Amino acid sequence: MTGLAPIDGLAVLAILAKALDYGAALMAMGGVLFVAFFAGRADASVLRLARRLAIAAALIGLAVLALRFGIRAARISGMGFEGATDPMMLGFVWESPLGTAAIWRGLGWVAILAILIPRVGQWIALAGSLAVAVSFAQVGHTLGAPRAALAILLVLHLLAAAFWVGALAPLRRAALSPDGAGVLHHFGTVAAFAVAILILAGTALAYLLSGSLAALFGTAYGLGLLLKVAIVAALLGLAALNKVRFVPALRAEKPGAERTLRRSISWEMLAVVLNLLATATITSVTTPPVNL
Amino acid sequence: MIRKTLLGLVVAMTPILSAAHSKSEATTPGDGATVSEVPELSMRFDDPMRIISVTLTAGGADIAIERETGMEPAEEFRAMPSEALAPGDYLFEWRGMASDGHPMQGSFSFTVTE
Repeated sequence: MTGLAPIDGLAVLAILAKALDYGAALMAMGGVLFVAFFAGRADASVLRLARRLAIAAALIGLAVLALRFGIRAARISGMGFEGATDPMMLGFVWESPLGTAAIWRGLGWVAILAILIPRVGQWIALAGSLAVAVSFAQVGHTLGAPRAALAILLVLHLLAAAFWVGALAPLRRAALSPDGAGVLHHFGTVAAFAVAILILAGTALAYLLSGSLAALFGTAYGLGLLLKVAIVAALLGLAALNKVRFVPALRAEKPGAERTLRRSISWEMLAVVLNLLATATITSVTTPPVNL
Repeated sequence: MIRKTLLGLVVAMTPILSAAHSKSEATTPGDGATVSEVPELSMRFDDPMRIISVTLTAGGADIAIERETGMEPAEEFRAMPSEALAPGDYLFEWRGMASDGHPMQGSFSFTVTE
């Protein structure tokens, strides 16, 4: 397979930690965005859940950041797990783009915790979400050319994905609340724009990093990307089903509608987890065709 | 099939063999070459690479080498065998970090004849 690095135990660990990092980032940013967009509309219990998830995700994110530093140090050291605490190896990681990204991400995680503070805290948390999104543009192949385009596209892609993913758990709760159908309907309208941004930015990134359609089929990166597209397609199918069938059923107060909708959202969550694992695998052990 | 592939990648903690990273470099001796003597071991990269660990082995036994290139990122890495290499099959392996922060690793092998 072209452009696939050897995968050892440490690489598998790195992939799992990265997927967890991605998940925490999307949950935290998405929780903050949900509170910002639905402050006046959603039930207090739903907003509380969104805030709690953002805080839990930010705390997990901080822990995973430290963990990923150790894993990266171990991987470059050639010493196995012992390298994870080696000051010289940690120094090399700190000097690499991962160090810059860690500063942005760490500040972002802390700023997101400010969502606990009433009013002004929401703005600090929004700035924190942006910092977390920007941190992802400080590492990896988005550092290539055209740098500005790649960075902006990645930040847009992440914020749109976060808006969607971070809303899933609060929406699942909203299905049970008295005015939940209204919130779900409103989400469906806003999410249509978010999904459009997500797909356009994702496609543009894939185009810039792949270079050609043929490259998708002959490389590990391309096959990983196609797998990701397949998962996203299933996710979109579920989202469309929710929008045109299950949410209207809930609004019409059809019996069993909330159960069906909540189950459908659970399936979406599973698809998101698979997608994050696929993405972490692609970004850890494959090389984009333009870099081959 | 898709899920199976994904699970295979993530769950099975066994190494999956694959071709070396293609951004690999020209080496001395060349990969797979048969040579009569090895005055130096070197690798060239098209982007500065921080080479952190290097090992030279023959049949699993470590062979002493002296690094000329330190751990600073460099486009050319050089090391010398501490003593003239005896005839046999050798494997040179390295690990390090690319300038974008990616962990990198690679290897090349060669044969020394009388």
